[in-house]
Amino acid sequence: MATETQTPADEPLPPPPLDGVDDHGTFDQPPHEELHGLLAEFDTPGALIAAARKVKNAGFTEFDCYSPFPVHGIDAAMGIKPTRLPLAVFAGGVVGLAGGLFMQWWMNAHNWPWNVGGKPTWSIPASIPIAYETTILVAVLTTFFGMWAANKLPQVWHPFFRIERFATVTDDALFLGIEAGDKRFELQQTKQLLVAAGATHIEECYVDTRPEQTQVPRQVWAVLTVVTIVAIIPFALAFKARASKSSQPHWHVFSDMDYQPKAKSDQAFDEFSDGRANRGEILGTIARGQLKADTALYQGLREGAWITDLPADIVPTMAVLNRGQERYNIYCSPCHGYDGGGHGIVPERVSTYAVWEARNLVASNSIAITMANGQLYNTISNGYNTMMGYAAQIPVRDRWAILLYVRALQRAQNAIRDELPANTQVR
Amino acid sequence: MAATEAHDDHGAGQSARAVFRGITHDVTSIALTPIGKWWYPAFGVALLLLGLLVVAITHLFQTGIGIWGNNNVQGWAWDITNFVFWVGIAHAGTLISAVLYLFRQDWRTSINRSAEAMTIFAVACAGIFPIIHTGRPWFAWWMIPHPNDMGMWPQFRSPLMWDVFAISTYATTSILFWYMGMVPDLATLRDKSKDKVRQVVFGLLSLGWRGSARQWHRYERAYLILAALATPLVLSVHSVVSFDFATSQNTGWHTTIFPPYFVAGAIFSGFAMVMTIMIPARELLKLRHIITDAHVEAMCKVTLATGMMVGAGYSIELFTAWYSGNIYEWFTFRNRILGPYAWAYFIMVTCNVLVPQFFWFKKVRTNPWAVVGLCILINVGMWFERFVIIVSSLARQALPGQWAYFSPTRWDAMTLLGSFGLFFTLFLLFIRFGPVVAMAEVKSVSPAAHAGKDDH
Amino acid sequence: MSSKTIHPDEKYKADKLGKQFTKAGLIAGVPLLVLSIVLGSLKGDHFKHFFFAYLTAWTFVFSICVGSLFFIMIGHLARARWGIVLRRQAEFIVGAFPWVFALGLGFIVPVALGNQELYFWSVKQLHDPNHPLWHHMHGKFGWLDPVFFTIRYVIYFAVYIGLSRWFTKHSVQQDTDADPAHSEKMRVWSGGAIVLYSLTTIFAAMDIIMSLAPMWFSTIFSVNFFSGAMLATYCTLALLHMAIQRSGRLKHSVTVEHYHDLGKYTFGWNFFWAYTAFSQFMLQWYSNIPEETVFYNYRMFSQWEYLTIAVVLGQWLFPYVSLLTRWTKRVLPLLAFFSVWQLVFHYLDLYWNIMPNQTWTVIGAWNRGPLQGDPELYKIGFQAMDVTLLVALVALLLAGIGRAMRGNLIPVNDPKLGAALSFENY
Repeated sequence: MATETQTPADEPLPPPPLDGVDDHGTFDQPPHEELHGLLAEFDTPGALIAAARKVKNAGFTEFDCYSPFPVHGIDAAMGIKPTRLPLAVFAGGVVGLAGGLFMQWWMNAHNWPWNVGGKPTWSIPASIPIAYETTILVAVLTTFFGMWAANKLPQVWHPFFRIERFATVTDDALFLGIEAGDKRFELQQTKQLLVAAGATHIEECYVDTRPEQTQVPRQVWAVLTVVTIVAIIPFALAFKARASKSSQPHWHVFSDMDYQPKAKSDQAFDEFSDGRANRGEILGTIARGQLKADTALYQGLREGAWITDLPADIVPTMAVLNRGQERYNIYCSPCHGYDGGGHGIVPERVSTYAVWEARNLVASNSIAITMANGQLYNTISNGYNTMMGYAAQIPVRDRWAILLYVRALQRAQNAIRDELPANTQVR
Repeated sequence: MAATEAHDDHGAGQSARAVFRGITHDVTSIALTPIGKWWYPAFGVALLLLGLLVVAITHLFQTGIGIWGNNNVQGWAWDITNFVFWVGIAHAGTLISAVLYLFRQDWRTSINRSAEAMTIFAVACAGIFPIIHTGRPWFAWWMIPHPNDMGMWPQFRSPLMWDVFAISTYATTSILFWYMGMVPDLATLRDKSKDKVRQVVFGLLSLGWRGSARQWHRYERAYLILAALATPLVLSVHSVVSFDFATSQNTGWHTTIFPPYFVAGAIFSGFAMVMTIMIPARELLKLRHIITDAHVEAMCKVTLATGMMVGAGYSIELFTAWYSGNIYEWFTFRNRILGPYAWAYFIMVTCNVLVPQFFWFKKVRTNPWAVVGLCILINVGMWFERFVIIVSSLARQALPGQWAYFSPTRWDAMTLLGSFGLFFTLFLLFIRFGPVVAMAEVKSVSPAAHAGKDDH
Repeated sequence: MSSKTIHPDEKYKADKLGKQFTKAGLIAGVPLLVLSIVLGSLKGDHFKHFFFAYLTAWTFVFSICVGSLFFIMIGHLARARWGIVLRRQAEFIVGAFPWVFALGLGFIVPVALGNQELYFWSVKQLHDPNHPLWHHMHGKFGWLDPVFFTIRYVIYFAVYIGLSRWFTKHSVQQDTDADPAHSEKMRVWSGGAIVLYSLTTIFAAMDIIMSLAPMWFSTIFSVNFFSGAMLATYCTLALLHMAIQRSGRLKHSVTVEHYHDLGKYTFGWNFFWAYTAFSQFMLQWYSNIPEETVFYNYRMFSQWEYLTIAVVLGQWLFPYVSLLTRWTKRVLPLLAFFSVWQLVFHYLDLYWNIMPNQTWTVIGAWNRGPLQGDPELYKIGFQAMDVTLLVALVALLLAGIGRAMRGNLIPVNDPKLGAALSFENY
């Protein structure tokens, strides 16, 4: 770093004087060396500050002080304007806050509203902790990267690094450097100004202007280009893959329990002789809730014969009959009609091109009238001829309700005058 | 010598630059000259413990949480205790770095670099536990929101998700703050290194820092801003960790004082850990004149103060459990004191309330080895505080049919010990190769930094 | 560390200033207090609203004294330099503790004598086992008993007055004997003093304010009260010093740097107040346990909703964002504006905490939402006496401060005074 190239100033340095200023004077410099500036060393922070003030008051702007630690008071002496970094940080914080809130709202309340225990999908109090953290995170990132950017770092090389003593700036030394590019710069006068300001040592700093020294070597550009191209390849492949179709299955990076050593209910399973994973019901057992001991209720049978009364659990109340009506109207009326006469919309439709009837449930000579309750229940459950069984759609108790309603329809269609209630109007 | 001074200038009459050179030499020689022989066995032990951690976690991933002692009602036990323990320790570093900076306590400059390093390594240890304590840790990456074809996003209203954001923000901020503070010192190491490898490495890491006043100006501003941001951050991180418990409805967990009480406890245990590490380190690294007895005393006082806050938290909780009239809440606290984990409660109160009382006495504060002993006890006590909160509360929840006793297995112990291995491995590496003390800051607060100034 | 001495032209003697404060305070305070009592009786609710408004105003002045005491003690403990030049004013403020004690008797004595309007736990019917809330409350009757409550009140103030007197005595003595041992003594004992102070304040806040809603509880409540008190203290110190400087005194000793720091601490405690208030809210909201949410339910779903939002925006957000920049802290009219603003909202925060508790005494109101029950109960019910009582008690506090204001306005012989006078911010 500090000893890269030969500079004319690399003859053995005269030892720093005990007092007074050490000045190399002028000498013949090779044509490829250009003066970058002057570097002056000082003994105490106070001296540095005073010198900085002098230099600033003399009208110089292209100068800087160098120290191993921030010297308090030097900002004012040099006329450094307060940085605007705080504004950028504030903006960063606002972005973080808005971003954090928006992210949570969009992801949890808008894009896929997530019902958690019935609570509102957008709950501000619960969104505050994360929004708070994102505010700080973006502000911190702005501070960190903003500061380095404003400081133009990383900048691993600077002309002053060519001066060997400059290496002590991170140890104990205090420097003031004035660049030759400053309007007021004039080698001898500027040196005198620095001497008057109390410098203990002044050195001229030269840069090598030869192109091979100032430009990035071709090889570096080549390497960077190759590396960049190579680095893009994985992304390019990924984009291509996302945009194309394939008959091959995805690569599984995280199998995430996709392949589990277990058998599911209807899978083939060679380990058993019947090739099935499902081992069926265990002989001599009945699943919980499947006992169905009451054959009258579940099958309409008592000791093998159709029951003619009702199962003990079924009590004909208005509620049950209303339920039966509602269920009948849903399931039975399409064929059997609302009145049970067999002229529902399905037979009406069929009769335009074929002959087909649904059973008339209520005619006085219908077998449905004389059929025992149990057998009627069985018909509802398991079907008859072209009628399919409705056991899958209609729960047991609803079937009995429908049965009760059918009986009511039958009674209504075959009413005997004397059986009518007293207050019924008769025409 | 007042605690406001960060460096004990043995000789009055040393020139300012000699003072600076002394600081540079004392600190850089640690990284640039062969380390003392003690380092190797210490590192060996640390590596061994780290190996334990690797074995424990590998076995955990292969076999499952069943290898731990966790049971049905104590779904959280040592895993989350360790998590909160390590996060708590991390907080002292940020407090020393950021909060003491805001309060203009110059004495912080001798310890803040190591303390910040301790923060980062402790956060690394802490971050392991939430990931490994899940049954399917390979799903952990889903906690980071990313587009996917299921349209699935994290559930942000969960405190566990808040943890993810809080801890990652904290880790990021700590690393950036630590690194930024190190750049001038890395430049010093760059300039003092003799071998090419170190020069290149430190050179790249120090970004070409040359100590320009204009750069210092922005740097200082950024430092102040980061300190001002890190302060509410550190407050929020442990508060969010406390929300893991306080947002529940469990007795003993749901109480509004948890956020500040956890933060105070974190600083308490963190300072104890800082002292446990710094006091031996300053002897071994010959930094006694930079990390002085006055600094240790100041840290003891902060430890005492935060310990009293923790004690106040215990008292308020206990009183309110009775005052609330909620029989379950009151039972939970009686159970802590008299139930199956009374032994843990006893350790907790002894170590957290009684032990710090010794710090009232100057004689104790100025005896470094007494301080180390007491601080170790404090850390034990703080571990037990989290244990008591988590395990003893879960052991006796509202449904007596669920009551159970948790016993750790050797895998629990290996994981905890192993985490110390990770911590000390990283810390020993840092001591070996990095700038242990913030040289630039120590120089800037020494009286020599004002040499030659008129008036002021 | 640079050091200055007191400016030769500096006027640092209190002289008649204290008497002026006392006079102004009494002239404003006493008539307004009498007016408030009249308004209270005219409301016709057995002084119920009067007691609540009185308690709110009293808590406001109490919090300023409490915060000032902590300011003094923490300054000693942390060896703070910047605040030394401000400390004497804080000592005058805590010198008014006896006045605050006496003013507090205005609600304590009625409670001790069996008044049931203020504290729900003092309602005699509650002690009947058939009362629907008896089973919830009976365990606490030993603690929430009028006599024990009064005894505790006396103990709290014994501690406050004792500590105030001790610290002020040493500080004032140092003016005459210039003995650095005083500072040393105060520093050494400040730690233990803060411990004692903390215990006292924790229980005082729980007793006087939290027990207004005896079925509700929050462990962070006292911490929240304390942070509000500190917030008010820094604002008060800023305004008090501006007033003193207007009278021509302390013009050189208290500089913009000190105001800047007062502003910084106001900012910091603003944040801490928001932190404790939010913690309390968020945790009780999130867990959704009815015996806790009743507190927030009432303040979020009735007319109180408006005040809740106002407190969030006015007590926290607006001053917080405004005090971020240096300029609001260094331009004195701006700092004055925000100090007044923060004090007003501190009062509103206390109002929000205390006043809604009036409805507890209406049986069943505490567990019904605003859509049920009497809509009158869910209005804020702001009265003129709220303002008159606030002004009256603040004026009387000022009178008390004036009574204590004697001798020097800065601790002239404090060893660290020089550092305080030359204090500069970054």
